Amino acid sequence: MIRFEPRTERDGLWTAAAFAMAIAAGLAVSALLLASTGANVGQVFSALVQGAVGSPKAIATTLVKATPIILTGLATVIAFRAQLWSIGQEGQVFAGAMGGYLGAQLLAGLPAVAFFPGVLVFGMAAGVAFGWLAAVLKNRFGVNEIISTVMLNYLIVYLLSWMLQGGPWGESGGTISYQQSPMLPSDAFLPALFDSSRLHAGVLLPFIAAAICSLVLSRTPLGYEIRGLGYNPEALRHKGVNIGRTVTIILMASGALAALAGAVELFGVAHRLRADNLVGLGYAGIIVGMIGGLRPLGTVMAGLFFGALASGAVYMRVLGDVPAALVPAIQGITLFFFLCAGVLARYRVVKVAVQ
Amino acid sequence: MSTALRVEGLTKRFAGVAANDHVDFDLRPGEIHCLFGENGAGKSTLSSCIFGLYRPDEGQIFVRDEPVHIGSPIDAIRLGIGMVHQHFVLVPEFTVLENIIVGTQRSGWRLNAAEARQKLRGICDGYGIEMDLDAYVWELPVGRQQWVEILKALYLDARILILDEPTAVLTPGESRILFDIIGKMCARGLSIILITHKLVEVMQSNRVTVLRKGKVVATLDTADTSPDELARLMVGRDVSFTITKPDLKPGETVVAVEKLTAHGHWGEAVLKDVSFSVAAYEILGIAGVAGNGQKELFEVLCGVRKPAAGTIRLKGEDVAGLTPRCLMDRGVGHIPDDRFREGLVPEFSVAENLVLGWQRSPKYRSGPLINGKAITELSRQMIGEYQIATRDEKVAAGKLSGGNAQKIIIAREFLHASELMLANQPTRGLDVGVIEYVQSQLLKKRAEGFAIVLASEELSDLFGLADRIAVMFKGEIMGIVDPKKTTVSEVGAMMTGRKEGATP
Amino acid sequence: MNQLFQEAIIISILASTIRIMTPLLFSAMGELITQRAGIWNMGVEGTMLTGAFAAYIAATATGSLWLAVVAAIIAGALMGAIIAFMTATLRVDHFIAGLGLNLLAGGLTLYWFQSYIQGRAQPTFSGFQDIAIPLLSDIPIIGPVLFSQRALTYVALLVVPAVWFLLYRTRYGLELRCLGENPKALDVKGLSVTARQFAAVMLGSALTGLGGGFLMLGFSDRFLADFTAGRGWIVVVALIAGNWKPKGVLLAVTTFAFLESLATHLQVVGAQVPHQLLLALPYLASIVLLMGVRFRSGQPARLGIPYKRG
Repeated sequence: MIRFEPRTERDGLWTAAAFAMAIAAGLAVSALLLASTGANVGQVFSALVQGAVGSPKAIATTLVKATPIILTGLATVIAFRAQLWSIGQEGQVFAGAMGGYLGAQLLAGLPAVAFFPGVLVFGMAAGVAFGWLAAVLKNRFGVNEIISTVMLNYLIVYLLSWMLQGGPWGESGGTISYQQSPMLPSDAFLPALFDSSRLHAGVLLPFIAAAICSLVLSRTPLGYEIRGLGYNPEALRHKGVNIGRTVTIILMASGALAALAGAVELFGVAHRLRADNLVGLGYAGIIVGMIGGLRPLGTVMAGLFFGALASGAVYMRVLGDVPAALVPAIQGITLFFFLCAGVLARYRVVKVAVQ
Repeated sequence: MSTALRVEGLTKRFAGVAANDHVDFDLRPGEIHCLFGENGAGKSTLSSCIFGLYRPDEGQIFVRDEPVHIGSPIDAIRLGIGMVHQHFVLVPEFTVLENIIVGTQRSGWRLNAAEARQKLRGICDGYGIEMDLDAYVWELPVGRQQWVEILKALYLDARILILDEPTAVLTPGESRILFDIIGKMCARGLSIILITHKLVEVMQSNRVTVLRKGKVVATLDTADTSPDELARLMVGRDVSFTITKPDLKPGETVVAVEKLTAHGHWGEAVLKDVSFSVAAYEILGIAGVAGNGQKELFEVLCGVRKPAAGTIRLKGEDVAGLTPRCLMDRGVGHIPDDRFREGLVPEFSVAENLVLGWQRSPKYRSGPLINGKAITELSRQMIGEYQIATRDEKVAAGKLSGGNAQKIIIAREFLHASELMLANQPTRGLDVGVIEYVQSQLLKKRAEGFAIVLASEELSDLFGLADRIAVMFKGEIMGIVDPKKTTVSEVGAMMTGRKEGATP
Repeated sequence: MNQLFQEAIIISILASTIRIMTPLLFSAMGELITQRAGIWNMGVEGTMLTGAFAAYIAATATGSLWLAVVAAIIAGALMGAIIAFMTATLRVDHFIAGLGLNLLAGGLTLYWFQSYIQGRAQPTFSGFQDIAIPLLSDIPIIGPVLFSQRALTYVALLVVPAVWFLLYRTRYGLELRCLGENPKALDVKGLSVTARQFAAVMLGSALTGLGGGFLMLGFSDRFLADFTAGRGWIVVVALIAGNWKPKGVLLAVTTFAFLESLATHLQVVGAQVPHQLLLALPYLASIVLLMGVRFRSGQPARLGIPYKRG
């Protein structure tokens, strides 16, 4: 018989083993899922790998797909580390794209060195406003941030839908009204890193953001307060930390990061404002952040993994008829096993003699 | 001789450390047997093993001389063992009756309230316990809640009753009533295991087993021993019970509190017109049974609770209603009673905890970043100066013992405060050695000119340390007395609501 | 004529209030059971979604609506088992477990749905129809509002007193409430907290899943992505607004349903409002409602706190 006993100290090797088991179990269950719908598991997996890292183009796609979810993942890290369960990342992505689009109209004609930082700031400002709203609802009115952010997510989706359909940003002309804006002018496209590749300059942003997040969390007083808030807000309150203000700062910073994802997606990939490019990026970021252990580096790795999966899925779709929703399904499954592994890592397995 | 309960060679390890090491213990029918020892000596572990909350690694338990296996409280209850936990296990939202019957019914889906009510009436009448079974537990004063716990055990037909620190929340009068009823229980053949660290209570038992570091040091007939001997056995060395406090002339007034009033969560008054002042070189003791406004008083003084009315003058400036930050910046330190919840971030390292609240101070920063080197240096110095037993400054504070955790708080607060120290129950739950250390630190800081407000539930501590003692009852100060001119029993009477100077 | 029209509108608003309310009522009562047992299940949305999906598959595959109801209940209970395993057994943070479940349910249902309809037109079914109760349905106003509804609606209205009875009049209810207020009180009597929380969450989630299933079977004929569209979250809001009491939750759910019904009728009477604003109303109402809620006295004391002995 075996028994689980809590560990007193963390064991790096055991932790690694637990998470390796989680990945294996996640893959196994994903394979079962594929088999349950009659897909050829081997073919699908090899197509996924091909499409993820099989060629320079595949790797470029992986990076482009990873970019927004790493950013929303970092937004998750900042908030969740303080035990603020904001799931506004989904809506903040929309806010970021909308803010960026507004910025693009106001700043049109500026030289690129001013234009791109400018529109990204516009996008982030929209996310900051979203985060501020959630913070006010929490601090002033005691509204749980999970619920308020879910509701705000729905509200902003409808706002975008209205702006694009009945409102000022819709594409005019034609008989059918698509819910999308006109194309941005081509000088508003984020420049490519290499000639004629799809690898836009925005793919650098998540790595810069991750480095900053890491530094803030581990080396600054604000990071100290974020971590402390997550562990024991009562002690912080007793020792003079203004909890309400800290919550506001955290939710605004988280909003800025998630919104950046939306803006980068707009200027780097979609080049026009429409909802279906943005849907799910926030929720994927929550998964990525949690699988990354709420650490910036882990989030980058998890984000690259899911970026690769998404890139592979694009390729796989060309080959066979496996539904596109395979990606969120695998994400959900992996998250589940990672949560279990996180618990397992805190225990040791002991053999006990049967009495 | 037959025994009600016997434990042989019981060993229980946590993560390899023995909390109980080959403990032998026996309980005779109808006796009060005291388990005596410091915190962490293994008293609670032993009783938890007997009650089935922990499974022992080695050893055998016998009930009425039959070897038994107690794998869960359900086995213990079947064997007639009942336990009253130190921290009550009650549901405030339930009535007394509901608290007693919840989880006791094994069949049927309807609540058998009527049957239970009848049985409980019988028990209450038999022992002379007065209890309104339909009162909600949240309505009852803490002292009454103790009876609900005892009734829970009696309702389950306990023949062996484990009482874990039962008088911790009782007034001296209530404790007397409790011991009267314990006497009645013994007369009816119940056997009592009494866990306590108070010598006064040990002396009321038939026998006493002293535990130290998980081992049984001695089992004695209480009549054949003395408090001094027991204290020596408990600590393992001679203990001086006297605190030497030099006479100091109080300096200028540091804090003057005037007609302070505060409200609780439901708008009820938790502090009523509290007034006092404390001078430099002075310790003001706060006496009172737990829950009579002491905690709220400290919360208002350190800024985490807003007062409804009144003034707090700190060196002449009214600081009532200021934030904790403002008060800390004005030299106020605070040692809270719930050290792991309010005083520390247990997941943070010792070093991080030593700068808690001062993480933005320029002293610990270089530019926008935290100056890790400065904090490490400071931590090593503090660990040495305050004798904090830790492997190094990177260990999480939550992994340290209560005493060492308390030393972190004391080190941090005295390092950063300069005028006033608020110490709420600074020695509660600590070992004798640490208690002595904490007390000597308080006296040292008093000699350095701090004004200190010190609350303690142990009157002897207050009599030893305080220059004056304010007694609190239901949020009011019943009087402020000079410990040299008053007796413990007078203060005890004031703790139950008698005003200073009133004749009994 | 004008008066007749007004009366028809009012009856229609009230009847559709009841109609919109009932799926939410199942889910809310399920979540009430779960939360009173101390598990702050944030996975209502995912549980409802899975219930709706299971009902859709069963209805289109077998053609039997009642089998579909059973499928929704089973799917809900399974989701409950996952939540219970995460929260009661593994003691994962309740919020994280619930969010994880929502994401898992969203991904899995969409994947299965897409492979189910792959290469063919989406199959549909015809859902529950109104059953007019003889005589009672002929009463003016009340008749068409209350007694000309779908079969499950009548069941849902009975669920409220049934849950109340379970919670306050049975020993299971007493134990269940004890789990939410102070699980240690059961533990020290030798009863397994984990087993009881498992049972409570599975029962509650079965009801929650049924709510999702009813949403499908009573009001739609096909599945689509994000089918439940935030209704699970509205259920969570209703719990808070209803102060964790059956009657309060009923009132909160009714308020939501009334608002939504009113919004849909605004267009009928010809109000010039963008339909997005109408769709957004329930979410806006949720925020406003929560801003107003000041009392939390009914919140179980240990709600959302994983139980650990010692």
